[in-house]
Amino acid sequence: MKIQSLPIAIAICLLRSAFVFAADQPAENERFFETQVRPLLVKHCLECHGAKKQQGSLRLDSRQFLLKGNETGPAVVPGKPESSRFLEVLKYSDDDTQMPPKGKLPAKDIAIFTEWIRQGVFWPARLKPSADHPAAATNAWKKHWAFQPVTKPNLPAVKNRDRVKSPIDHFILAELENRKMVSAGPADRATLARRVSFDLIGLPPTYEQVQAFVKASSPQAYENFVDSLLARPQFGERWGRHWLDVARYADTKGYVFREDRNYPDAYRYREWVINALNADMPYDKFLIYQLAADQVIAENENHHLHAMGFLTLGRRFLNNIHDIIDDRIDVVSRGTMAVTVSCARCHDHKYDPFSIADYYSLYGVFFSSNEPKNEPSTLRLEDKPKPVNVQVFLRGSSRNRGKAVPRQFLPALSGENPKPFEKGSGRLELAQAIASSKNPLTARVFANRVWGHLFGNPLVKTPSDFGLRSDPPSHPELLDYLASTFVEHGWSVKKLIREIVLSGVYRQASFSTADYSDHDPENRLLSRMSRRRLDFESQRDSILFVAGQLDQSKIGGPSVKLTATPFPKRRTVYAFIDRQNLPGVFRTFDFASPDTHSPQRFETTVPQQSLFLMNHEFVMQLADVLANRTKPTDSAEEKITQIYRHVFSRDPQPAEIQIGVQFLKASQQNPQASVLGSAWSFGYGAIDETNGTVTGFQRLPHWTGSVWQGGLKLPDEKIGWAFLNSKGGHPGNDRQHAAIRRWTAPADGVLSISGQLKHPSDKGDGVRGTIISSRSGKVSEWISQKNQTATRVEKLAVKRGDTIDFTTDCRTSPSFDSFEWRVNLKFNSADKSSKTWDSVSGFHGPLPKPLTAWGRYAQVLLLSNEFTFVD
Amino acid sequence: MPPISRHSFSLDHLALTRRELLSRCGTGFGALALGQMLQEENNQQPSAYAAGSQNPLAPKQPHFPSKIKHVIHLFMNGGPSHVDTFDPKPLLQKYAGKELPGGNLKTERKTGAALPSPFSFKKYGESGIEVSEIFSNVGECIDDIAVIRSMHADVPNHEPSLLLLNCGDARLVRPSMGSWVTYGLGSENQNLPAFIVMCPGGYPIQESQNWQCAFLPGVYQGTYIDSKNTAIEKLIENIKNKRIATKDQRLQLDLLKQLNERHQQKRQDDAQLESRIQSFELAFRMQMEAAEAFDVSREPKHIQEMYGPGTQARQILTARRLVERGVRFVQVWHGAGQPWDNHDEIEKGHRRLAGQCDQAIAALIKDLKQRGLLDETLIIWGGEFGRTPVVELPKKGSNQGKINGRDHNHWGYTTWLAGGGVRGGYVHGATDEFGFKAVENRVHVHDLQATIMKLLGFDHEKFTYRYAGRDFRLTDVHGRVIDELIA
Repeated sequence: MKIQSLPIAIAICLLRSAFVFAADQPAENERFFETQVRPLLVKHCLECHGAKKQQGSLRLDSRQFLLKGNETGPAVVPGKPESSRFLEVLKYSDDDTQMPPKGKLPAKDIAIFTEWIRQGVFWPARLKPSADHPAAATNAWKKHWAFQPVTKPNLPAVKNRDRVKSPIDHFILAELENRKMVSAGPADRATLARRVSFDLIGLPPTYEQVQAFVKASSPQAYENFVDSLLARPQFGERWGRHWLDVARYADTKGYVFREDRNYPDAYRYREWVINALNADMPYDKFLIYQLAADQVIAENENHHLHAMGFLTLGRRFLNNIHDIIDDRIDVVSRGTMAVTVSCARCHDHKYDPFSIADYYSLYGVFFSSNEPKNEPSTLRLEDKPKPVNVQVFLRGSSRNRGKAVPRQFLPALSGENPKPFEKGSGRLELAQAIASSKNPLTARVFANRVWGHLFGNPLVKTPSDFGLRSDPPSHPELLDYLASTFVEHGWSVKKLIREIVLSGVYRQASFSTADYSDHDPENRLLSRMSRRRLDFESQRDSILFVAGQLDQSKIGGPSVKLTATPFPKRRTVYAFIDRQNLPGVFRTFDFASPDTHSPQRFETTVPQQSLFLMNHEFVMQLADVLANRTKPTDSAEEKITQIYRHVFSRDPQPAEIQIGVQFLKASQQNPQASVLGSAWSFGYGAIDETNGTVTGFQRLPHWTGSVWQGGLKLPDEKIGWAFLNSKGGHPGNDRQHAAIRRWTAPADGVLSISGQLKHPSDKGDGVRGTIISSRSGKVSEWISQKNQTATRVEKLAVKRGDTIDFTTDCRTSPSFDSFEWRVNLKFNSADKSSKTWDSVSGFHGPLPKPLTAWGRYAQVLLLSNEFTFVD
Repeated sequence: MPPISRHSFSLDHLALTRRELLSRCGTGFGALALGQMLQEENNQQPSAYAAGSQNPLAPKQPHFPSKIKHVIHLFMNGGPSHVDTFDPKPLLQKYAGKELPGGNLKTERKTGAALPSPFSFKKYGESGIEVSEIFSNVGECIDDIAVIRSMHADVPNHEPSLLLLNCGDARLVRPSMGSWVTYGLGSENQNLPAFIVMCPGGYPIQESQNWQCAFLPGVYQGTYIDSKNTAIEKLIENIKNKRIATKDQRLQLDLLKQLNERHQQKRQDDAQLESRIQSFELAFRMQMEAAEAFDVSREPKHIQEMYGPGTQARQILTARRLVERGVRFVQVWHGAGQPWDNHDEIEKGHRRLAGQCDQAIAALIKDLKQRGLLDETLIIWGGEFGRTPVVELPKKGSNQGKINGRDHNHWGYTTWLAGGGVRGGYVHGATDEFGFKAVENRVHVHDLQATIMKLLGFDHEKFTYRYAGRDFRLTDVHGRVIDELIA
């Protein structure tokens, strides 16, 4: 029986009759299912609702799934087509959901489904759905390395004992020796000084500091050098910025429509972070303050409330509370424990042991906390009087609630059955569970971040995802060693950093004779130190620093806008971060995106970075200052030496001096012409009536920001009332002091001029406007008195370099003589190209000064790879 | 050594460390197919391509071959009315001033009676597709256009709809389409930004989030250009040096090269040093090329006249010059804020707005065609939603009591595609008889995105990026390719 070839009515009829015998004829049922229903399901439904995908959390590949449906209810009710949501959707009778999306099925197909449901939704028993268990339901995760308790490993044996400077070296050397790889020798002291200085305080050492360290004879010289850096307040600025990447710090809320976008107190959080790191606040305490300072501080410790900016300074998502809480869950879980709990917002985590219920357990904690108004810190949270357990949002939709879940810690990390939080929102208990020595992740995650900052590559490549899909650490035991000693040493961040930078592996040279680029292209085994490029902050700070301009007068304080002029000289960590419209320079230099928690910075090399360094006024200004840190009386050799000491903290080699001298010679032989060649200049002078020429043209000396005039005050003692602005100006007190707008021809050609001379006042004797060509003398003149007059000149031949002066004099009296004179110039050059000028848009203030040859030389050093990379 | 990730097309691990990112993203001179990359990853032979260029914008091949090399997205921000442009609804005449028989769907504001289009429609081309008089020039090109009359979005508000269309999610921080495309394909011109966004007079609403790179590297963020300006230094940051003459800068770069080469001699082959050296030379060339690319006055007179006068014409012509030079993704916004948002004065407003761009859009299609570039350029036209076929009722402060405009409408609206790979002269889907709601062959924004990705050679479900434990994609967990739109 080939039902599909028959008309529908007959088909249905036959089906009905088939059903009558269904009990006795399972084969007929199965046949109907296999030949009619299943092909339709496969063709129209299972691509999106099968084993691979479950759009709308709905599966249609087994009877059991059909009966289960999704959160809107069962898909089918056996025997009751009229109550089956599945058919409602197929019939396109619902506004929201119409399936299949490509178009309504033909009536005969819908009839087949209807019949199938009426028959009781027969499904052959052997067609079981494929297994699809969420991670939490299996126990595979229990063996995952990151969830195992941290244990302090024994130090592996090492053959090259002379290379060992710290227990850390055992782990690195053992791996290398296993692979018969040799490590690079120690770096020279100057290299090491530069490396550790950038790593610890984000700034280069001075020439003198390097010299002192290189010459120091004490066996403790390096330890002393490191300790002095750790004690500098710049340490907190450097490492504080690393934490601000984790905390997705910004000074603004993002897009919030018309509400004020600023977080005016954001900088207080930044200041708190910097101070905490400088004071070497234990990391566990550091975290507890940031999550729950409101619940632990003593009476006189209100300043610690700023720590909660960690939670409150996120993007505001048009004040959508669910998204704000999601951002908080994310920054806490990825930032402190490298778990991606936010993945469980809509459904159980696909890979890691975090269920949607776990997500809403944390959601409840933050939902039970709010931001009080009129408090000593606008950044703080506090518990609501009545904390609540929230219901799971099915598929992440707040309109679709499931069961209520208790506020509690993540079961996968509690080691036992979690106990619901008891104190208020539970935020403090959450903080304590994170900042616990028993938490398998917190210390590991932080140690891994620190390692990454010091070596360029963290041990675990994904510092904010230690989940089942992450790669294991390159040195698992080393990570555990670092984590366990970190906790043993009272969570001291400075001790952790100190131990790492004192190790032999950190003190290696960045190049070695052995080439392992085939075996270990990323140098994850650390057979040498990795060469690193300065990040955005270090690069900008260093430019200011070597020019002697970095403002280090205080630590902390409000944000400064980096793009403002004059350029702020504070360290880049104090930059105002507008997360909605972050200035291009930040993105160009791979600054951490302030949108969400940032696991790690990218490092890209793009020409926009070069353009900034080549052309931005900031760089040129500082290059100029740097070049001028030498005495004018110094010889070129001496100057080059001094600039080298400032920029590279070393002396130049003779060949480098030679190269520099050659550059300067070539540059000075080639004196720089005006760069921004403007056709316009603004001055005053006398009109020689007899010859029809301008004599004694002088530029007006003072620029107010919008007006060229004789001096600070008007009238000027010498030049009188003469001034020019974009639209016009005022003549001087007599005919010897006419105001003159001068245009200089860029090429040979023919000029046409149009314009309007206007004397707006209703008093005085008006003004005279005269156009005078340096080649052909007076072209034309007009008087304007209490009116306006057209100033037109047709076809005036000019040669390159000729001047055309638009002179305005006061006639007999300078009273009431403000004038407007806009002119448009149309120029047809001899080579047939044409160009136009107009006096309004062509008006300008002082042109930028060309950068001197020495300035250009100093700039090149700031652009060099030696300046930008750390060996 | 831990194994190298075998994760399919997602390049996220590339991004996680510089060396990986830069060494795998492309080779020195030619494109490296993703398939090839994948294979090499699985064979664990990173060294095979480690020596190449470190440029994250080096050209790359998509999942499967595609002719399309460039995208021009003409963004009619504010929401153009489909019943006044590309979706004629004569029945509205009959109901003019009366309530629609089925009642009104809920939109942002209160709406009232049917408002017939004040514009006449005419059949164009061999396909005979009807187009409104205000887009008569575009009408002439209709046989190159696939009109999707059954678009629908999620909500009738600008902000979420803009983000949905540009970034695939209405609220959360996700990379924009242009960022995805330049991430996946790189760029064919290293002397210009790969993803350029033009909007005259300032930002549209939701601002630079519309072209954000989110968690992708900053190099994939759209480069915003205020196309109200014409001077190159006002268009591209740091493109011009005001204090150093070009020939002196050349001397500087020669010195820089000399110093960098000395520095490099003492260090073993290090691609990152080499790549930074190259980037200065690139930047130097970019100064010339960018100025040239944005200077539409270099176009012959007949081409300038073809596009017509005004800012729209200039920026659309600029878009052509950019794709011609290999820029991957150009987004052209009509203007700052939300110009097409005619809650009142729809006739005046739409006539004016269409008048500003109709000629230039048609010129773009014809011009690309005559240059043989239309086949390799995808043009997308549309707004974040359409407008209601019924009149918006007056409300204090919103439509000044004029009762002659339309409210936002996400239930159904029109977007059109033209160019490479698109089935021209084709109408896909339909709204109901009044144009309120898409009813036939409905195309959700995610479906449009999936289709655009397909046209560009990507399987939108496999074009992912792992971040925060998840494999993100432009279409989130949605999207269905509309094969009918593809020629």
